[in-house]
Amino acid sequence: MNNPHHLNPTSLKSRFTTRFLRALTKIRAQKPISSSSPTEIFRRYRRIKVAADKSMAYSVRSRRIWSKAMLWKLRSRSYRRQDPCSGRRSGKTNQAIMKKSSNENTTTRREDGVGFVEEADELRQLVPGGETMNLCNLLDETAHYIKCLTTQVQVMKKIADFYSF
Amino acid sequence: MQPCSREMQAMNSLLNPTQQIPLQDLQINGNSHHHQQIHVPSSSQFQYPTPTSTTHQDDSFLEQILSSTTSFPWSDETGPPNPEDNNNAGFNYDEMVLASKLRQHQINGGAAGNPFSAMKMMLMMQQQQQQQQMMLAGRPTVASSAAGGGITTNHQGGEGSMQALYNVFGDGSLHGTMQAKSFVGANSATEMTQSQGSRPTAGEAVTAPEKPKQRVRARRGQATDPHSIAERLRRVRIAERMKALQELVPNANKTDKASMLDEIIDYVKFLQLQVKVLSMSRLGGAAAVAPLVSEGGGDCIQTSANGGSHPRNSNGDQTPSANDRLTMTEHQVAKLMEEDMGSAMQYLQGKGLCLMPISLATAISTATSRSRNPMINHENPTNGSHLLIQSSGGDGPSSPSMSVLTVQSATMGNGGGLEGGAASVSKP
Repeated sequence: MNNPHHLNPTSLKSRFTTRFLRALTKIRAQKPISSSSPTEIFRRYRRIKVAADKSMAYSVRSRRIWSKAMLWKLRSRSYRRQDPCSGRRSGKTNQAIMKKSSNENTTTRREDGVGFVEEADELRQLVPGGETMNLCNLLDETAHYIKCLTTQVQVMKKIADFYSF
Repeated sequence: MQPCSREMQAMNSLLNPTQQIPLQDLQINGNSHHHQQIHVPSSSQFQYPTPTSTTHQDDSFLEQILSSTTSFPWSDETGPPNPEDNNNAGFNYDEMVLASKLRQHQINGGAAGNPFSAMKMMLMMQQQQQQQQMMLAGRPTVASSAAGGGITTNHQGGEGSMQALYNVFGDGSLHGTMQAKSFVGANSATEMTQSQGSRPTAGEAVTAPEKPKQRVRARRGQATDPHSIAERLRRVRIAERMKALQELVPNANKTDKASMLDEIIDYVKFLQLQVKVLSMSRLGGAAAVAPLVSEGGGDCIQTSANGGSHPRNSNGDQTPSANDRLTMTEHQVAKLMEEDMGSAMQYLQGKGLCLMPISLATAISTATSRSRNPMINHENPTNGSHLLIQSSGGDGPSSPSMSVLTVQSATMGNGGGLEGGAASVSKP
C-alpha cells in the first residue's frame, strides 16, 4: 500500500515520515521484544517518543527556535545518559549558554504590555525553548509547533493503523 | 466718537516694546478700504497703527479697535469702559478676561507674554477688520448673523464691535473663523520669522480655545511617538499571530484573547499527549500508559504497573480478528470484575488496556479517529453497550495492541458478567 499522502517529497510530512520510520526500524533492530517488565517497556516507549521528537526536530532543522531548543535538549540528555561526567560538563556549559541568552531576553519577557503573563508563561513551558522568547515570537513558534505536532500525530497514527492488523 | 488719543498712545506705548508682530497683514487688509494711515513707529517693529492721522471717524476701524482695546479695564492707563452697550455685563467680562491676560503678559514683561497678547490683539483687530470689511462690502449677512448681540454699525464703541468680535467667536461663523484661521496662519508664520520659534505652538494652542479647535490637536498625540508606534506595531503583530493560531486550533471562537490562549495551551497539551500515547501504542506498554492517560483525563482508573503479573494472552497472535480479541478480553475483564475491581484493572493493564470514561474516549476518538473508523466496534453484548476502541500498532510480534475498553456505566443493562463493569469509573 502506497502512501497516498506523500504527495510532496520535500514536505514536512514526508521528511518526518522517512526519518521516523528509519528510527523505528533501528529501534526494533536494537532490542528483542521479549522484555515485559514495566521498566523495559517504559524505556522503549521513551526511546520511541524520543525518536519521534528527534525526527521531527531534524525535519525542521534549526529553522525554528523550538526545534533548535529541542535538538539541544535531546542531545544534552543523550550525552548525559552516555557519560554522566561529560554530560554534566557539557550540560553545564550548554546550560550556561542558554541561560545567558535567556537572561538577555528576560527583560523583554517580563511584561510585554499585553497582559497575558500567566498564559504566556504556561505556553512557554509547553513549547520547547519557549523561555527565551517574547510574546510575539512565542506565538509564532507556537503556530509552527502546533503544525508540526499535528503532522507528527497524523503520521504516527497512520503508521499505527498500518501495522495494526 | 473718537476714542481718546491718549488711550491710543498708551496702548501704543504698551504694545510697542513688544516688537513682535508686524501689522503687515493688518495693513494689507486695512489698506483696501481703510483710509487711515498706518504709522509705524520707528522705534519698534511692532507696527501698530497709530491713529494720529485719522481723519475718518466713521469707519476708522482701527479707532474702534483701539477704543475697544482701550476700553479694557486697564485701570491705571485707561478710563473705565464705556457703559454704552446693552450687553455690557457679559461683554465686560470677556473684556476683562482678555484684559487680565494681557495685563499678565505685560507684567511678565519681555517678549514672553507679549507676542501672545499681541497675537490676541492682532486677532481681535483682524476680526474687527474682517467684520468691518464685510460690513462695508455690504454683506450684512455675517454681520447679521453675528448680530445676535447686536452689532452696532456705529463705530463708537468699540464695545459694539468688540461684542461683534466675541459673537463671531462664540457663534463660530464660518467666515470669521476661516478668516481667523488664515490670520493665525499668517501670523504664526510671521511670528516665527520674527523671533521665537517656540512661540507659535503656544500661540496656536492659545488661539485654539479662542477659535473652534480644528488645527492643533493632531499634533499633541504624537508627543510620545516612538513608544506608541512601537506599541501599536507590536499589538498588531500579536493580533496577526493570534489569528493565525486561531485557524490551527480547532475550537476557535475568538471571544477573548485570554480564553483563546487557554485554548491554544490546551490544544498543545493535547497534541503532546497524543504523541505520547501513540508512541506507547507501538509497545503496548500499559504500565507506562496509565500514568500518561491519567494526565489527560481525571477519571481514568489507574493502577500501578502491575501488569506484568498477569499473563499476556493474545499478544503474539495476530490471527484472530480484532473483534475476537476484544470479546475475549471483555469476558475476561468481566469475570475479573466480578471478583475484584483491582485485579480486573490489573488484567486490563497487562493487556495494554485502560478504562476510561466514555466522554474522554469519544473526545479522543472523534478528534483523532478519521482513520480509525473501521476499528471502532460498537458492541452490544448481553449487558448493554460498551464502546471498545482499539488502536493497535507496532510490529507484529513486538507489541500487543493497545486498546481502550470503555464501559458505559449509566446505560448498562445489568445482566451477566459485566455487571460489575456497570459500576462507574472512578479513581481507586
